[in-house]
Amino acid sequence: MNYQYIEQLLDRFWNCETTLEEEQILRSFFSQADVPSHLKQYTAFFAYEATLKDEKLGEDFDKRILAMTEEEQAVEAKTVKLATRIAPFFKAAAVVAVVLTIGNIAERALRDNSVSDTTVGVTDTYIKKEDITAKIKIIDHTRSEAMAKTDSLKSQTPTISQENLIIE
Amino acid sequence: MKEISFKNDVLPLKDKLFRLALRITLNREEAEDIVQDTLMKLWNQRDEWSAIQNMETYSMTICRNLSLDAIEKKERQNISLDETAHDRPDTSRTQDEELMKQQQLNTVMHIIGQLPEKQRTIMQLRDIEGKSYQEIADIMSINVSDVKVNLFRARQKVVGSINKES
Repeated sequence: MNYQYIEQLLDRFWNCETTLEEEQILRSFFSQADVPSHLKQYTAFFAYEATLKDEKLGEDFDKRILAMTEEEQAVEAKTVKLATRIAPFFKAAAVVAVVLTIGNIAERALRDNSVSDTTVGVTDTYIKKEDITAKIKIIDHTRSEAMAKTDSLKSQTPTISQENLIIE
Repeated sequence: MKEISFKNDVLPLKDKLFRLALRITLNREEAEDIVQDTLMKLWNQRDEWSAIQNMETYSMTICRNLSLDAIEKKERQNISLDETAHDRPDTSRTQDEELMKQQQLNTVMHIIGQLPEKQRTIMQLRDIEGKSYQEIADIMSINVSDVKVNLFRARQKVVGSINKES
């Protein structure tokens, strides 16, 4: 049998030029029973590595670790329970807080509105008084003007009526 | 995003972590403690799992760092790693063939045990866990060329020793 391929793989293996797949080929080759004598010296190396692969922890290890983690989990579950028990109170408190805040804001807003309303009213009436006096003055003025106009009209009217009468 | 479950996604990494810790510390009990510490560390970080891109790489990095801390601590206490490295139960069989095989395995084990930690870890990740150069680089926080150089040195040392022995 020709072992050229294996020999070549082996050379490349020691020079770290093999891929993981090629290394697997070598491993399975050396794990078989009839390895040619000129390659036998390498069997122990691959066999040793194979024994290392079988090193495992005992079954009780899992139990121990899981027991350790579950212990912690139980403690954690307790704290979560406490938090969930308190949660409704927090919710209620939050609702009350929101209502109070909104109420407070609304109340303040209403109060602010009424205050500004009265000030507007005051200025309004103040302005109105001034306006009224000004308007009264204007009215007085227009009235006197109108009086003057009617006076002049009164003096003109008779002539016009006389002329009209003549035409009729 | 996929939710990570401790039992289904993190815990199954235990054997990979154990082998890595074992390769670095060369001590089973210590490696087991390190895996336990690694898993508990991950468990305590569970709120941040969604930010972790690759849980396997991340856990192996933690495991390696804890293993390095452990051997550093041991070195400070002046305990030789070699002593603990060979206190495995002697499983030699009476048959010659088996005995020879076991001797060869011990030789290889000794050769690999003599390698610097960096080379040993890279070899472990490449040959046993089947990791790509990039994954090894990510786990060990070094660059890819550094991985290749160290793996090359490790394999050259191994093949050199094997050829010298035979």
